[in-house]
Amino acid sequence: MKNEYFPFPAIIEDIKTETVDTKTFRVCFTDKALADSFNYQQGQFMELSLPGAGEAPISISSSPSRKGFLEFTIRAAGKVTKSIHMLKKGDHIYLRGPYGNFFPFEEIIGKNIYFVAGGIGLAPLRSLINLVMDNRSSFRHIKILYGARTPDELCFKNELEQWKTIPDTEVWLTVDKAGAGWSGRVGVVTELWKDTHIDPTDAVSIVCGPPIMIKFAAEKLEESGFKDKDIFMTLERYMKCGIGKCGHCNIDDKFICKDGPVFTYEQIKSFRTKEHIF
Amino acid sequence: MRGKGGKNMKISKIKIIEKGKIKDLLKEASQEWDVYVPQKFSDGDVWMDQLPEDRQLLDDALENVMLEDADTVISPKDIFFPQLETMLKFKDDKILETPEFSQKLIFGIRSCDLKGILFTDDFYSRNFEDIYYKSRMQNRLIVVIGCLKPPRSSCFCTSANTGPFAEEGFDLQLVDSGNSYFVETGSKKGQEFIDMHKKFFIESDENFDMTVKEIKIKAYDSIELKVDFQEALNLMTQDSFIPEDSYRRISERCIYCGGCLYVCPTCTCFNVFDNFNGKDKEGERLRNWDACVFEGYTREASGHNPRKEKWLRTARRYEHKLKFDYKLTGMSGCVGCGRCLSSCPVNIGMSEFIQEITEKRKIM
Repeated sequence: MKNEYFPFPAIIEDIKTETVDTKTFRVCFTDKALADSFNYQQGQFMELSLPGAGEAPISISSSPSRKGFLEFTIRAAGKVTKSIHMLKKGDHIYLRGPYGNFFPFEEIIGKNIYFVAGGIGLAPLRSLINLVMDNRSSFRHIKILYGARTPDELCFKNELEQWKTIPDTEVWLTVDKAGAGWSGRVGVVTELWKDTHIDPTDAVSIVCGPPIMIKFAAEKLEESGFKDKDIFMTLERYMKCGIGKCGHCNIDDKFICKDGPVFTYEQIKSFRTKEHIF
Repeated sequence: MRGKGGKNMKISKIKIIEKGKIKDLLKEASQEWDVYVPQKFSDGDVWMDQLPEDRQLLDDALENVMLEDADTVISPKDIFFPQLETMLKFKDDKILETPEFSQKLIFGIRSCDLKGILFTDDFYSRNFEDIYYKSRMQNRLIVVIGCLKPPRSSCFCTSANTGPFAEEGFDLQLVDSGNSYFVETGSKKGQEFIDMHKKFFIESDENFDMTVKEIKIKAYDSIELKVDFQEALNLMTQDSFIPEDSYRRISERCIYCGGCLYVCPTCTCFNVFDNFNGKDKEGERLRNWDACVFEGYTREASGHNPRKEKWLRTARRYEHKLKFDYKLTGMSGCVGCGRCLSSCPVNIGMSEFIQEITEKRKIM
């Protein structure tokens, strides 16, 4: 019987500082056979652990179209993530997974895509964004609407610039609070609706961010004419095991780790609970 | 079901074991098995505990074995899902797995607790399989003892259809007939156990079917607490049925200690954490029981807590058992053992919740 809780060592090949509290770690399994055979889908997550510190579920921010490594964009928020932030290039980290469902890909070929993200919520979306960019001709117009609290808290700054240069691709940025040197938009991400036309025709939207942002973005998308089944979002929830056993991430009869983390707005509306999903 | 015998037995004639022989049987069996049996401790509490290996300690422990009227504080789920358990060990950059496969004889559990075990078996066997639970349950033999009278006044097994005698899922079942037990065989494994320990069992040519039936009917009638369990499940599985008012009132009294969930036979939630000794470069990953009524159970690193208000946690506790478990598996997440009520410091229990929603009046 497979021990699903057993993690495998990976080596940290590169660390990129995204913001003051967020880094992207590029890792590769040390076992070559495992590294070669490993597959994942856009939007899935893995359990990352440091023996002694603990384990935390982190979404994969790299695209499955780019082989040979995995990337995790991690904010130092709790005990485990703070310990991971102390690691250096060449150190080991332990992984198990991938877990959870994933964003649609084949189902949305030929469509216009609206990505709406807030803060570190861009990390799981980046997996799909780069997968789409690597298959750019299969998709129509793409808009990335991205907001952060401050300019310093925007992740993937180089890629935001690079995505902009791709034909039929727009990147719209906004920050809650401007600082020195910011000449861009100020306001929450839904304020971008004033600046750019959001057209639901033949379009899907993919949303991730802090709970309150997801709530307002989903409502705004719905208002703009998006059908609930065309609004995809990936949910955050306190998780331990990642495999539907520890119970922490349950909503109604679903486990976010196993039945999610990706849900349509339609599915979320069907939840009976009065809990604060957002 | 009322007065019915086990349906998958009839392997051979009914066996009888004298009560005086039980200790000797357990002693012999303990050479081969890890034996778990209810034992009364000096503080008066009864725990389903493992018999010690040491001969002197074993003799002492056997003196404390308590089969009849045993109200074990917690359900026997901890045999397969211990309150605290090591999952992995870390030593010198190596990670070691620690599943446990010993042969376990679970002797003298109640039919409601058997139902609880079957429930958690199913949960932990579902994709993804949990190797720690599965390895512990792999080599086991379960001997149920039917209840002639309820061990707790809060028992409502006849309503939950889980007792006072088991109908299936046991290897052997003891039916108390005064100085001896009739032994019903529920599986091939159970039969093999009897064959292995033949000298303790008597085989009679007499037909005791009627006697056993009468014992069971009398036992059934001794359970006084009755609730409309099926109606509660029917109500709860309706999407639109959310008794928010009841949840809110319970939340005003509940102190959120989690005791009801620790004693519950079907609660399976756990927390995972690491311990590490920097000096010896040794550590372990452990899991321990957790409970959905705790405020920190759903609190995220960001501070966001989807179940911040107490009543939402109360709703989760009842809806998981009666709504979602039943919807998903056809099995109720409550087995009617009544421990939640008997262990509650402020007198809140599943039976009262069921009464409140089915009788449509304020009880709690």
